[in-house]
Amino acid sequence: MTGPVLEIRDLGIAFGGLKAVDKVSFSAERNRITTVIGPNGAGKSTLFNLISGALKPKSGQLLIDGVDMTGASPARTKAAGLSRSFQITNLFFELTVAENLRMAAQVLEPKARAFLPLCRSTRALAKTGEMLERFQLGHKRDELAGNLSHGDQRRLEIAVCLASEPKILLLDEPTQGMSHADTADTAKLVRELSRDVSVLLIEHDIGLVMDLSDHVVVMHQGRKLAEGPPAVVRADPAVQAAYFGHH
Amino acid sequence: MNALDYLQFVLAPQVVNGLALGVAVVLVALGLTIIFGMLDVINMSHGEFYAIGAYAALALGAAGINFWFLLVLVPVLMVPLGMAAERLLIRPVFDSRDRHVTTLLVTFGLALVVEDLLKVAFGPNTQRPPTPIPGATELAGIIVPNYRLFLIVVGAAIVSGVAYVVYRTRLGAMVRAAAFDRNMAASLGVPVALVYAGTFAFGVALAGLAGVLLAPIYSVFPTMGRDFILLAFTVVIVGGMGSIWGAVVAGLLLTQVQALASLVISPVWTDPIVFGTMVAFLVFRPQGLFGRLGHA
Amino acid sequence: MRDRLTLSMRASHLLALVFVAAALALAAIGAASGDTFYLRLGTEALIFAGLALSVDLLLGYSGALSLGQALYFGIGAYVSALTLLKVPSFWLAMAAAGGATLLASIVGGLIANRVRGVYFALITFGLAQVVAKVVYNTRELGASDGMIGIPVIEIGFGPVSVSAGNPVGFFLIVLAIIMGLYWLTAYLLDTPFGRVLTALKANEKRVPFLGYSVWWARMFSYVLAGLIAGLSGALYPMLRGFVSPELMFFATSGNAVISVILGGVGTLIGAIYGSVLLVLLKSIIGSWTEHHLIVIGVIFMVCVMFLPKGLVGFIRPRIEERLLAGAQKPAAPSFAPVRLEAGSAKP
Repeated sequence: MTGPVLEIRDLGIAFGGLKAVDKVSFSAERNRITTVIGPNGAGKSTLFNLISGALKPKSGQLLIDGVDMTGASPARTKAAGLSRSFQITNLFFELTVAENLRMAAQVLEPKARAFLPLCRSTRALAKTGEMLERFQLGHKRDELAGNLSHGDQRRLEIAVCLASEPKILLLDEPTQGMSHADTADTAKLVRELSRDVSVLLIEHDIGLVMDLSDHVVVMHQGRKLAEGPPAVVRADPAVQAAYFGHH
Repeated sequence: MNALDYLQFVLAPQVVNGLALGVAVVLVALGLTIIFGMLDVINMSHGEFYAIGAYAALALGAAGINFWFLLVLVPVLMVPLGMAAERLLIRPVFDSRDRHVTTLLVTFGLALVVEDLLKVAFGPNTQRPPTPIPGATELAGIIVPNYRLFLIVVGAAIVSGVAYVVYRTRLGAMVRAAAFDRNMAASLGVPVALVYAGTFAFGVALAGLAGVLLAPIYSVFPTMGRDFILLAFTVVIVGGMGSIWGAVVAGLLLTQVQALASLVISPVWTDPIVFGTMVAFLVFRPQGLFGRLGHA
Repeated sequence: MRDRLTLSMRASHLLALVFVAAALALAAIGAASGDTFYLRLGTEALIFAGLALSVDLLLGYSGALSLGQALYFGIGAYVSALTLLKVPSFWLAMAAAGGATLLASIVGGLIANRVRGVYFALITFGLAQVVAKVVYNTRELGASDGMIGIPVIEIGFGPVSVSAGNPVGFFLIVLAIIMGLYWLTAYLLDTPFGRVLTALKANEKRVPFLGYSVWWARMFSYVLAGLIAGLSGALYPMLRGFVSPELMFFATSGNAVISVILGGVGTLIGAIYGSVLLVLLKSIIGSWTEHHLIVIGVIFMVCVMFLPKGLVGFIRPRIEERLLAGAQKPAAPSFAPVRLEAGSAKP
């Protein structure tokens, strides 16, 4: 398959008079880690909401794997292969770890299986087992998601996104609130993941961004400020001004 | 009958009737919307407090207490009742995750109990206290029963008073602060528990007052609370849960629609119309006409 | 997958078996002593238990409180009555009631599912009130008196038939139907579809991001709940020989909600136990005083405040623990292997 896995063209949305996302265009290449950075209020989360279907854009186009998904609902973007995590952990806290994963993996099964007993959804169950092992959550499988430590929850959040075998993973500040050790582990994990799946990341940790990213997009006040490989972007005077300049 | 006669003898009296009922409906809805807007509590027993007010007026009136005194006495008597209900029933479930459902259920239980208690105390039959202000006056060629005129005037005064207290006084500001952010208000010295109990009591006292006012017109019977609650909730939803002006506008509007509609169609269909309005709003404009006060 | 929810359902199934055993025992005693009254009371309790079941399906699973479920119960009852007055056939009446309730709950669902939470409760409440009032005022449906003179029918199963007038026979048939409905809902809840409903209650916002349509899930569960209520209602005229608008009034919906809370929200079997308990309470307290609602109301409030999991919800975890302890022995069955190596799953 050729072409970028995700492409946005002049995507925009405004709230009242405020242009939260203003004519942003870029593409995310397959099996690469693309990171979106920018100061607070730059519109990064809003951009994710637009891409994942939580918000409908006022203008512009969204293409997932070459197919126009502009204005699609979250369920449809999900079906198209896009999976997103949330900045504020948004798991099913009252359900077990295993159940959280199974729910995500269930989409791998044909729709008709929805009315058959759970044990017949073998692919989903297998995937659950695989995710539990890969993310070292096996021993916590029957634990309620709400009872996990913050680091474990964030890991589960990523695992849930991955369980549906997406084409592109949208990770919204995955290392938020994590300890150094956890952050390093997560970075390693994301790097590994990018071999099978494309990653679009929002991150604040500049060190992490520099280490991890193949491609960086800088947003500022709703617009795309700069784009390119990490080192190039970092050296860009406009970017430096945005981050360290006067406001 | 020519158009002018129709206007004078059929339409106008109906409008006046609608207004009189409307004012009382507004009072009940006001209490309900304040309780929801301020406390985030769904009070399914609100209709029963309306009934309690009516029955209190009946009983105390029969004991010889003068109507004017009742107007003040009954709401005052309802305050401790309301505070007790809030403290004993609502406070324990207030912090549950699905507060709306649990308060709805617990107040529903209270409604069951109160309705049956009223039946025990007063019997199942319909009773009616005498009209405190008999007679009628002629206003611009329209014959208006004096009591309904009184209702309209007093009701309007009370509603304005409530709005004034909520929006322009320090007490009102405290209540709104406690509603908006409980912890912040507490740290600023607002006695939050008392404010909550007091607000609930105030809301149900308004309902009780409406009961006193409407008893001479609509009679008093044990299921009166249950019958009234759909209309009250409709007004609150159409007006916007938590909005005082919403309750006023929606209350007057809906009762007018009801009054005028009953001229042309059978009264059987007024309930479906009221309900239909509620559904339409819930579906197309769930925040009602005027949105919310208190919580975001 | 040896899963917490599956385990809970198994505990419920155990309680269901206990219930059936007790019911059969009572039926046997009733048959032996030639009783009619208690068997009929028990049958009525079972019929209303079906209504309570439909409330629990909505409240316990997708978290939607329906205050007007009696609407579908009533529709089922009236359609069944109308059918029986023309053609005294059990199967036709059930089919007609089922069809009518299906349509009604689709319409009702389209209206009610536009909103959530309290608004949903109020819309369902209003829907039931309005239709009940309309029925109350419709001469053709018997107005406030309802319709009487529903014939006692023969329920045929091929060569064998049971008369609805036979207290034991009809009791057993209703028991079978209601428990059948219980098993259907319990089965569904252990399917991926049922788990989506559970997810709706746990975190509705996340569900679309997992790829599921919230609207379809809610519509489906609402229509199913309506159907269950309607099929239960269809049995009522066969038992009592009449139908009245009271079947649609708020009191009926209210009783169902009370049954569910008493029995335990989300346990399904709790709705059935709760229903029976409510009927028992009403008869016992009703024999002392006419004002049993006061006592029931108080018990209900106490349950809402202090026993949110209801009776079954109280007992069930203890059963679950026993089952868990049992399942840890190597011979114990489980639905699927706990872990599968990647790649070993069958396609």
